[in-house]
Amino acid sequence: MRTLRRLPELSACLSRVACLSLVFAVPALGAVAEKPMPGDAGRGAALAVACQACHGAHGEGNPAGGFPRLAGQTTDYLAGQLRNYADGRRASPVMAPVAKALDAQKRADVAAFFAEQSAPYAAQSVHPTPGQLQRGRLLVRVGDESKQLQACANCHGPDGSGERYAAPYLAGQSAAYLANAIREWKAGTRHSGEKQMGPVVLRLDDQDIAALSAYLESLGEASH
Amino acid sequence: MVQRLKEVDVVIIGVGMVGSIVAKELAAAGYKVVGLERGQPRFTVPDFQGPAVHDELRFDIRKALMQDNTRETVTFRNHGSETALPVRRWESFLPGTGLGGSHVHWNGQTYRFQANDFELASKTRARYGAKFLSPEVTIQDWGVTYADLEPHYDRFEYLLGTSGKAGNLRGKIQPGGDPFESPRSRDYPTPPMKEHYQGALFRKAATELGLHPFPQPSSNLSQPYTNPEGVKLNACVFCGFCERYACEHYAKAVPQTIILPVLLKNPNFELRTGCQVQRINLDSTKTKATGVTYIDTAGREFEQPASLVITASFALNNVRMLLLSGIGKPYDPATGKGVVGRNYAYQTMSSVASFFDEDVIINPFMASGASGTLINDFAGDNFDHAKLGFIGGAFVGAVNTNGRPIQYHPVPPGTPAWGRGWKQAVAKHYNHTVMFSIHGSSVPQRQNHLDLDPTYKDAWGQPLLRMTFDFPQNDLKMAEYVTARAVEIGKAMGAKQVAGNPRKGPYTVTQYQTTHNTGGTVMGDDPATSVVNRYLQSWDIPNVFVIGASAFPQNASWNPTNTIGALTYWATSALKNQYLKNPGRLVSA
Repeated sequence: MRTLRRLPELSACLSRVACLSLVFAVPALGAVAEKPMPGDAGRGAALAVACQACHGAHGEGNPAGGFPRLAGQTTDYLAGQLRNYADGRRASPVMAPVAKALDAQKRADVAAFFAEQSAPYAAQSVHPTPGQLQRGRLLVRVGDESKQLQACANCHGPDGSGERYAAPYLAGQSAAYLANAIREWKAGTRHSGEKQMGPVVLRLDDQDIAALSAYLESLGEASH
Repeated sequence: MVQRLKEVDVVIIGVGMVGSIVAKELAAAGYKVVGLERGQPRFTVPDFQGPAVHDELRFDIRKALMQDNTRETVTFRNHGSETALPVRRWESFLPGTGLGGSHVHWNGQTYRFQANDFELASKTRARYGAKFLSPEVTIQDWGVTYADLEPHYDRFEYLLGTSGKAGNLRGKIQPGGDPFESPRSRDYPTPPMKEHYQGALFRKAATELGLHPFPQPSSNLSQPYTNPEGVKLNACVFCGFCERYACEHYAKAVPQTIILPVLLKNPNFELRTGCQVQRINLDSTKTKATGVTYIDTAGREFEQPASLVITASFALNNVRMLLLSGIGKPYDPATGKGVVGRNYAYQTMSSVASFFDEDVIINPFMASGASGTLINDFAGDNFDHAKLGFIGGAFVGAVNTNGRPIQYHPVPPGTPAWGRGWKQAVAKHYNHTVMFSIHGSSVPQRQNHLDLDPTYKDAWGQPLLRMTFDFPQNDLKMAEYVTARAVEIGKAMGAKQVAGNPRKGPYTVTQYQTTHNTGGTVMGDDPATSVVNRYLQSWDIPNVFVIGASAFPQNASWNPTNTIGALTYWATSALKNQYLKNPGRLVSA
């Protein structure tokens, strides 16, 4: 009897983590077949110096500057984003040279460093109106049937708290960063996670984007 | 005190998939249509959203989306000599309720039946002789052919956005698709789903055995899609919560995501929920329906007059509605006479579990309701039955839909049913087992039927439907044969242990099998053996149409939804283009 223990030619889906990436069609990881590399937070600490001016000493981010919070996102997610900046799936004149300077191991190391951080939330950069908070909360928790728009919480967890391995947390994230990410998907200029996020963001108008991102940023403060 | 409402052109009983399509077509053609739904209105937002929608206890175990069987259920017995008892908790099959009906909790498996299925009686006689089957087996032709239905299958699949790979385009066999399928006029609207690892293992082994694997056609979509009604769907994320659940992502084609947004905007249509239809009313001559009587959630009784009545509820409820209304002659198994309730059929489900070593990682939770790989080599009449002594067959596939923690724990035969030994076996095998579904056809036989229960009544005082059913010998032989073939595939996959579980009698209503109940108001060319004609119009009351799986004269090797959809468009087309222009019998008896 022939045995078929491993069939790499049949499916890229052998490792548990690669499978999870495929299952949840990870919005932000882009290509999913690449097997994530374990990172070393100790080695990453030294590399992180290059990141800390914008993203904060512990990855708390800088909402006013639109620099996202990194603390506590997963290693796979953060390393995946660095790869996306390096190969141009995500365009950023700031991030591209930084990411290109790191090889896959270094990307995993620096990602592991920020994944381990647990930083307080930076001061809020936006001051949403009660109406915006209400609209943002509705979109995050419930969605809008009139636009056939589902809740963010379906993939990003209750109140955007994240679904480990599947989707990044959004709660407490910089509003400017979130709004920019949504606009990039809408404009078709971001080529990672576009299959999942593309159809969703098309249903968001400018007012929705402002309300949604302001509400999500406000959740950081609320958690204190 | 019955309140008589203003007459409308059309009243539809049940606003599920069938009701939504018929209502949309007729309202768009300018007719005043009222849709009566006994359950609640519900929409993707806010009713189907996460995280609550993934509550396995609520939806899987307590069956939150199903017909409330504390108020309305069926009674069941295996044989006419027994006393039927009410099904107080759904297990074997799961009729839905509420806007969108059972379609909301389907798996999205979207097969066509084959040309042979629609002419089963004549084709079986021609190939195997008139005496091949027991006279107890009452298979018959449908009165429509595959060629009649092909454009309607096509239209339904494009409404859903079905993801798949054609195997036969206008007679030309296509590599990678199902070579046994009857010719289709064009490819599926969207490409097939991604193949999971168990599907890949199955495909490799089946190919080596000379079989013909292909990707399971799925109406959980592989990519975003805008259907011809202008409604947009998203791509499936393989969350593993399809059957028994509603989809939070707008990725599963259900009435809410394919047609209700258009229908509900049409001022010619009025949706009324919480309306329990008691009967279709007939005039004094008993030759014409005058409308329906229903009771709302406040207990008020209404008469809704209408020129045309369409029953579009779940198969079992279509049958019951005709029996409660005195439409058509009830079937009597003692004499074989009568038609309503005749030819009730089901689906003959078997399975095979292939247990692997722990280095083979299956990740069963990585699935959608229809993302598997399967073969049709042993389905329908795709293989020679001459020496086998049965007709029909089954598809065999690695089509497992989920790895949900409460319900999914495959263990090898001989494992203790509880306690430490069971727990250890679950932990050992959960992620290293491939389950095959063996989805078999079902022939009607004389004693299997549906009628009104003489004892038990629903919450409104109406008799319950009584089901009398056991597996025909034909189908048990089929299950044994095809399960043995599936075991060979499991072995070729390299499993350490392969356990075949062919369906055995007697039929039990307390074990989940499938919700593919068919027949009871079957279609055909002869009023002596059918309830409705080839356009699904009642032979007895020409302004009543009965649409759904209740029209199937017998059940084929595949899930019924696509064929229900095709019949719906077929009947709707006859309504629009013939009946409503000149109401009367579309076929003379």
